[in-house]
Amino acid sequence: MSEQFKAFTFVDSIHSDEIGVKITGAYRIPENIGQFPLSLVAEAIGQLAAMSSMKAVDFQFRPVAGIAGAVDFTGSVKPGDTLELEATLSKADDESVNYDGIAKVNGEPVVVLHDSLGPMVPMVDFADPADVSARYDLLIGEGAEPDVFGGVPEFTYQKTGGEAGAKSEGQFEIPSEASFFGDHFPRKPVFPGTLLMNLNLKFALDLVSELEGDGIWEAVQMSNVKLRDFMPPGETLDLQASVAEVSDHTATVRVQTRKGKKRISSAQVLLRRV
Amino acid sequence: MSRPTISQDEIDAIYPQVADIIADALGCDEDEVKPDSSLINDLDAESIDFLDIVFRLEREFKVKIPRGRAVEEARGELSEEEFEQGGVVTDAGFEKIKGFMTEVPADRFSSPMKSAEIPKLFTTETFCKMVIREQQGA
Repeated sequence: MSEQFKAFTFVDSIHSDEIGVKITGAYRIPENIGQFPLSLVAEAIGQLAAMSSMKAVDFQFRPVAGIAGAVDFTGSVKPGDTLELEATLSKADDESVNYDGIAKVNGEPVVVLHDSLGPMVPMVDFADPADVSARYDLLIGEGAEPDVFGGVPEFTYQKTGGEAGAKSEGQFEIPSEASFFGDHFPRKPVFPGTLLMNLNLKFALDLVSELEGDGIWEAVQMSNVKLRDFMPPGETLDLQASVAEVSDHTATVRVQTRKGKKRISSAQVLLRRV
Repeated sequence: MSRPTISQDEIDAIYPQVADIIADALGCDEDEVKPDSSLINDLDAESIDFLDIVFRLEREFKVKIPRGRAVEEARGELSEEEFEQGGVVTDAGFEKIKGFMTEVPADRFSSPMKSAEIPKLFTTETFCKMVIREQQGA
């Protein structure tokens, strides 16, 4: 059974599309999944922006994860919530899509994306352009069948070193097989950048939880997020995190992912103790 | 039509902002970024970093820097065929690039040069000049 548009797709409907300029839509988080991390809400905003940008280039190119100037985590979501999605594009051509976006639940922002940029790659290398074009028509028409997403496993890493409350090193093995690879992407399975983002958030949270003091840490913002390379199934990645600044109630952690000497991703995480 | 010249004073005026943007985009210290640093060879920049830097420069200076503008300007009045053949810069094209990218130390030019290697020449000052040219053309 094809997993395309099921295993890692987070837009059910497009409500309006001023092509390459502004797009709005929605996604209902299925009730029967255990969790839906905020990084997947960011993914939903990106997928919505991608739809408008792909339409702008007649589905000959598609964007892939690249850069986010900042991702603000301003709320929470739960299974059964409907995400109201919006993206404003400042550029959509065969080089890149540049956009800002927001996801709300019941009118309240839960994730805000600033200054995002996705490099465009030839669509044929990733999926059949006709399939994606037909999907766009479905979303802007009657809408797609909701609740087809079955969730993603909760990924974890193996800690390999570090210094309590200051820095941490770990290793993560990308699974060789997972249903989301069939959707991300049908012709070129790669580990989604937003799942790596989620793992990096967990890595940063685990590091600051080693700091002295009471309270629970939560991520407020991820900034200067940059994904430099594709992550194929089965690869082993090295994770690194270091506390850059810390006060009683906030901490900034720099996170990096490497494959050998090659930097795969980098970001900065702002956390708050509550 | 001749291109307006760019003075060192004009470059110096925006250099701190450009260097700051490059350091931020590459996640390196500002003092690692020198006027003649090759972004690829000295600062480990990759293609995604070039997109990032141009995106940040466009926002900071309120200009639009079209893709391939630096090479297009370097090519001047030469046609694409006169500039490169089979992915290799022609002798005439090579001289054009050397004359245009005066900010790049002479010992970094070597012929024959593949077109794909031109971005390796780009320095911090190359990006300053890109911004100034777009400001002049605005």
